[in-house]
Amino acid sequence: MSAYSMHNQDKTCWNCPAIDLAGMVDFRACGQSLQISKARSDDSDTYILARCKRNPGLGVYDPTTITFAECPEWIERPYGYLLRDMRVMILGIDGYLGWTLALWLGNLGIKVSGIDNYNRRNWVKERGAHTVVPISRMSERLHAATSVLGIDINFREIDIMDRARLAEFIDEVKPEAIVHYAECPSAPYSMIDAEHAILVQENNVLGTLGLLFIMRDLVPETSLIKLGTMGEYGTPLTGRPIFEGIFPADAILKWDNREWSLGGELTPRDPVSFYHVSKVQDTFNVYESCKYWWLRSYDVMQGVIYGIHTDQVAADERLRTRFDIDEWFGTVINRFVAQAVIGFPLSIYGAGEQLRGFIALEDAMQCMVRLIASPPDPGQYGVVNQMSGYCSIRSLAETVAEIGSQEFGLTVRIQRVENPRVEADIHPFEPIYDNLPKEFAFQPKVSPEMEIYRMFELLTQPSIKQRIEEKKHLILPRTWWSGQKKPVETLEVIDEVEYAPRAKVYLS
Amino acid sequence: MIFIKNRKRRLVIIGVDGVPYRLIRDLSQTGIMPHTASLIKQGILRQMASSIPEVSSVAWSSIITGKNPAEHGIFGFTDLAPATYRLSFPNFSDLKAPPFWYHDPKRRSVIINVPSTYPAESLNGVLISGFVALDIERATYPKTLIPRLMDMDYRIDVDSQKAHSSLDLFLKHLDQTLKARIKAYRYLWENIDWDTFMVVFTETDRLSHFLWDAYEDPSHKYHQAFLRHFSQIDEAIGEIKSRTNEDDSIILLSDHGFERTEKNVYISSYLKNEGFLKLKKPSSGNYSDIDHHTRAFALDPARIYIHLKGKYPRGSVEKEDRDKVICDLEALFSSIEIQGKKVIKRIYRKEEIFFGPLSPYAPDLVLLPHQGFDLKAGLKAKEPYGKDIFTGKHTQHDAFLLVSDHSDDDIMPNNPSVFDIAHIIGRLCNGNTTPND
Repeated sequence: MSAYSMHNQDKTCWNCPAIDLAGMVDFRACGQSLQISKARSDDSDTYILARCKRNPGLGVYDPTTITFAECPEWIERPYGYLLRDMRVMILGIDGYLGWTLALWLGNLGIKVSGIDNYNRRNWVKERGAHTVVPISRMSERLHAATSVLGIDINFREIDIMDRARLAEFIDEVKPEAIVHYAECPSAPYSMIDAEHAILVQENNVLGTLGLLFIMRDLVPETSLIKLGTMGEYGTPLTGRPIFEGIFPADAILKWDNREWSLGGELTPRDPVSFYHVSKVQDTFNVYESCKYWWLRSYDVMQGVIYGIHTDQVAADERLRTRFDIDEWFGTVINRFVAQAVIGFPLSIYGAGEQLRGFIALEDAMQCMVRLIASPPDPGQYGVVNQMSGYCSIRSLAETVAEIGSQEFGLTVRIQRVENPRVEADIHPFEPIYDNLPKEFAFQPKVSPEMEIYRMFELLTQPSIKQRIEEKKHLILPRTWWSGQKKPVETLEVIDEVEYAPRAKVYLS
Repeated sequence: MIFIKNRKRRLVIIGVDGVPYRLIRDLSQTGIMPHTASLIKQGILRQMASSIPEVSSVAWSSIITGKNPAEHGIFGFTDLAPATYRLSFPNFSDLKAPPFWYHDPKRRSVIINVPSTYPAESLNGVLISGFVALDIERATYPKTLIPRLMDMDYRIDVDSQKAHSSLDLFLKHLDQTLKARIKAYRYLWENIDWDTFMVVFTETDRLSHFLWDAYEDPSHKYHQAFLRHFSQIDEAIGEIKSRTNEDDSIILLSDHGFERTEKNVYISSYLKNEGFLKLKKPSSGNYSDIDHHTRAFALDPARIYIHLKGKYPRGSVEKEDRDKVICDLEALFSSIEIQGKKVIKRIYRKEEIFFGPLSPYAPDLVLLPHQGFDLKAGLKAKEPYGKDIFTGKHTQHDAFLLVSDHSDDDIMPNNPSVFDIAHIIGRLCNGNTTPND
């Protein structure tokens, strides 16, 4: 009995990226087809013909008859069976998530490759801001990864929009999974003006679309793990559950005294910025490519990400991942901690009652490994809502305030400011986030309190505190969804913070 | 009398996959296949027994090697890899006996579309693999031939999936596949200095699976299309015949026969219902889900294996209990009736039909059905029997063999079987007995 949770032990070569699906055969008609048809593959007498790229000696066989648990190429690891020396390419490897994941995967023995064109560094620079946790140049990062952790990363400076070079690199590496982080992740950035909205949509939508064609032509068996966002769904005021991308089998639409099953259909999307629109367009493009070409993908609808710690990025200063707090690229919890460190009131938009799912950096990494380890079926567009819990923005601010004041002796205030976005301040929220725990055995390891504490530990270091101070004027938003560029006004300053956040944090 | 020193006798072998004796006889007599009729007049036509089981991979492997499945190692289109539940698809690399073209390396052979000859291996001549072949690159020897085949729009096989969406489209592709095959044979006939030329037309089998009812029913929408295809085959046979020299020998043969399908019968369903077969997940269609409580399981079309301890990872039947399980299975299958009709005509034990060093890998039982019943392993099947789009099925007793050569009066056995062909080829080529003796 394994000590680990082997969530993927019953997956078979059907899911394995090291398989070459060569065709189908129907022995009733002594007939073969070199096209694999989804409908016909469910037929009782139709077989898929497969060859193992790693072990050609197996000959031609039915890929559903060898499980990961039986295959010597899949070896037990802490997050499920992992393909030995699996090749994983990270697009956007220089970013907050990309770099962290590269080290996390490398530490598990995965052969990591990646591309980046340093857009994120440039976009933050464009705002006049900087990452408050300093990060090294890529060449130094790669050197440190090798010397400190023994991880060799195959990096190329490539823009995802440069399809020819991307295709060349993918063809050379032949990745067995591709993690796609190479998108502009900022809603405010997409709302600055036409140029920025177009840039975000071009980079995100067209970059992803080009990638899908490359995968079709060069690595159709490779799984695509694509970063989406919970923001694609919006926050429906009807209060209906926010399912994981696709309606469950027993979902029913009732109208005009009639009923229809919604099972298997994509759920409605209601994006809340042009950036979120780009993510929704990605969703459709990926969904369609799975349908047309039998690509396989997980769309990761990530909640608000926060945190600074993994054992790998903490191993050496040169291995730190970036940490942004500016109005364009700072995520809310990270920004709250930075504000608390310098005595800047934690700014919540509007009523602050917006409910959001969230996940710590380390837990997000765990999820990604589990998804990589358990590839989708050919043709499957799978969706996971990646979050470890949810609560109101105001509650999160209160948690940060409590830890800052009680554990670090800081004076922390909270202020409500005008909301520059067009969104509901108060709304129902019932997210469903069962897939990761149920299908992939994900269990959050990091409580918000633990990670916030670790963030305070790092951010209160004098040199980092100084870097926050230098850019504190860039924390409050000036980018309004209306198109105006003006500071937000303070609505209320809350001096007496009530610490009751834990009761409002719903961990899965 | 003048003797030509070192003269090699040329041999032409034409295969028509799945064409029954009575069809070739009837269509020859009714004028649909006049060239074949002419060949019959010049030679000897006999009904021929196919292999057991009566599937192309086993039958053609037996035809080209002259060996029993327990000698050549091909027992069906599928097999479980030894000591695993991996469902593999044996191919030419798994053939353990040499085909006739390796017997005399001096003879140059052209071998086109013989089933189960993928991947193509080197020989003195040319080989284009037949079904099941996954890509033209590995289906062709020598590879220099590939561009020429691509120019001809050569197809290894008709895409049988087409028939599920449109029979008209299927027929169109069937026609294109046949035409491309004919182009390929013409090219190789003319450009290779061959001694043995073998081409198999497999389109006949595909057509019969989908449209056997059209053959039997003159009012059927596709009756004429069915006959037209056989007429095209006949023209190809006539053309080949016209290209031969007077002293060339011709063999025309099929690998099994055909008849109308009334019902598909799913063996696994009976095994499950009677407690012989247990799957870890009841709805699973995977052999990897065979549970340790399983006493027997089936592979297509009707091969039954005892789940022996030591032979399979979760095998549970002790060797001393094997006979008891076999008797229980025989009792089960001999009693099966569907709508008042007995389903199983004959149950063969391994010892009766498989002879050779590979018999440990042979099925313990093979079932042969009564007329109209098409036996399938059907691990995924939810019901014990059913009906689908296919209207024709293989028969074991009703293949045919035609030898057009008068140099050797007793070359044709009285009751030929697929195992006799290699022997006949050896005698026609150079007076040898079985090629690999």
